[in-house]
Amino acid sequence: MKRLIRFDNIYKTLGGTRVFQSFSLQVETGKIISIIGPSGCGKTTLLQMLAGLEQPDSGSISGVEELRVSYVFQEPRLLLWKTVAGNIDFVLRDVETAERRRELIDYYLKMMGLYEYRDHYPKTLSGGMKQRLALGRAFAFPHGLLLLDEPFKSLDTPLRLGLVGQVARMWRETRRTIVFVTHDIMEALLLGHRVLVLSAKPTFPVDTVEINVPLEERSIAREPLPGLHDRMLALLRSESVYK
Amino acid sequence: MKNSSWLISGLSPLFGLVFFLAVWQVASLFYHHVIIPSPVEVARAFFSLLSGGQFWEHGSHSIVRGLTGFSLAVVAGTAVGLLIGLNQTAASLLRPLVVVFQVTPLVSWLLLAMIWLGFSRVPVFVVFVTTVPLVIINTIQGVKSIDKQLLQMAAVFRVGKSRVVREIYLPQVAPYLMAGMSSALGVTWKAVAMSEFLSVHTGIGAGMAEARMNLETAALFSWTLFLIGLGLVSDRLLAYLTKQKLSHWM
Repeated sequence: MKRLIRFDNIYKTLGGTRVFQSFSLQVETGKIISIIGPSGCGKTTLLQMLAGLEQPDSGSISGVEELRVSYVFQEPRLLLWKTVAGNIDFVLRDVETAERRRELIDYYLKMMGLYEYRDHYPKTLSGGMKQRLALGRAFAFPHGLLLLDEPFKSLDTPLRLGLVGQVARMWRETRRTIVFVTHDIMEALLLGHRVLVLSAKPTFPVDTVEINVPLEERSIAREPLPGLHDRMLALLRSESVYK
Repeated sequence: MKNSSWLISGLSPLFGLVFFLAVWQVASLFYHHVIIPSPVEVARAFFSLLSGGQFWEHGSHSIVRGLTGFSLAVVAGTAVGLLIGLNQTAASLLRPLVVVFQVTPLVSWLLLAMIWLGFSRVPVFVVFVTTVPLVIINTIQGVKSIDKQLLQMAAVFRVGKSRVVREIYLPQVAPYLMAGMSSALGVTWKAVAMSEFLSVHTGIGAGMAEARMNLETAALFSWTLFLIGLGLVSDRLLAYLTKQKLSHWM
C-alpha cells in the first residue's frame, strides 16, 4: 500500500480571512506534486503547515510526523557570516558525520555550479547564485520531504529551466517526496508527476492532472504539456481577481 | 592647484594642533605654572614620568583593572542582554534592574564598593557597574534586530537550540555588541582613574592624586594625556578587531 501525506478537513484563518475551509488533500509519497494557484491562495501556508511552522485551526495533517523536512523558501535565507560551504554544513552538522558532510557539500555544490565559490561569503554572490545555494542546502539535507516555495521566482529563464532539470535529476537519484509550489504553469508541468490547481480563497482543488511521461522526456513543446498548459491557464484566469 | 589644496587638507590637523599649542603657550605666560603649565613644561613632565617608569608602573595596574572590569561586563552583559531579549519573564524581571544600574550615581557605587568590597576592589567594581548597562542595552537591541526568517529556516532543518543561539543569534548581535563594547571602553578608563583616585594607592588615578598633592600641574596634564592616549589606542584596537571579525559579511 502506498504511503500518503493527508490533509483532512483543514480550517485555517490568517489575518482575519479564511484561507482554508474544509480543505482535504492526499499527497502520494516518493513523487513530485506541483501546486499552482492564484496569488494569496494559501500555497505558502500549505507548505508551512507541512513543515510544522503553521498549525491548522482545526483538522489534521498526517504522514509527515516522522519525516525530515527540507525547505526552499522564496528568499534564499542564508547565513551571511558563513561561507557557501558553511551554509550547507549548518543544516548537516547535527545529522551527518564530518566525512559524509564533506561529500554531500562537494556533491551538491558541484551540482549547483558553486563549487569554486565554496569559501566565498554570500555577500559576494549574485541573486541567482544565492538561490542556487539555498537549493543545494535543501538537497543536501537528508530529507524525506522537500518543500519548494516558488524557488525560481527571481531567476532568468535559462537558469530556471536549468534548475528545473537539476530538481528532476535529484528526484531520479533519490525518489523522495517533493511538494513544489509555483505560479509558473510550465514549471509545474515539467516537474510534477501530479499537478494540482488551487482556487482563490477559500482554497479548494479545482483541477488535478497525473502526467505519466517520465520527467526527462518532457518538453514544453511536446504534448501533453502544451494542451495542459492552455487548460490550466484558462482555469487560473477564471480564478483570478481580474476575471 | 590640485597639489596645494591636497597639501592644505593633509596638513590642516597639524595647523590645528599648532594653533592649539600656541594659544596654550600664550595663556601659560599670563598664569602661574601651577595654574597653567606651558606645553614645554608638560612635555618635560611627560617624558620624566615615561623614563621614570611611573606610566608603566601605574598604567599597568589601571589597564589590568580596566580590562578586568570591562571583560566581566562584556561576558555578564551579553548573557543578561540575550536573556532579556529572548525571554519575556526575564525581561520583566531584569529590565528595572538595568535601569537602576544606569541611573545610580557613580559616587554611590564608589562608596558602596568601599563598604562592601574594601578599597582594593573598588576600581574593577566601578568599571563593571558603569559599563555593564551599555553592553546589556546594545545586546538587547541586537536581539531585537534578529531576522525571524533565519530562525524559521533553522527550525525547519531542526538545528539544535544551542547552535541556533551561537550561530544565528550571536553573529547578528555581534555588530551591536561591538558598538556596546566601544562605548563601554570609552567609559572604562575614565571610571578606572576616578575610582583609583578615591580608593587606592596604585594606578593612574593614584598617580594623579600624587601629582595634585605635590601641586605638579604639569604631571597632572601628562597623566591626562596618557589617559587620552590609552582611550584612543584601545578604541582603535577594538575597531580593528571588529573589522577583522565582521568585514567579510557586514
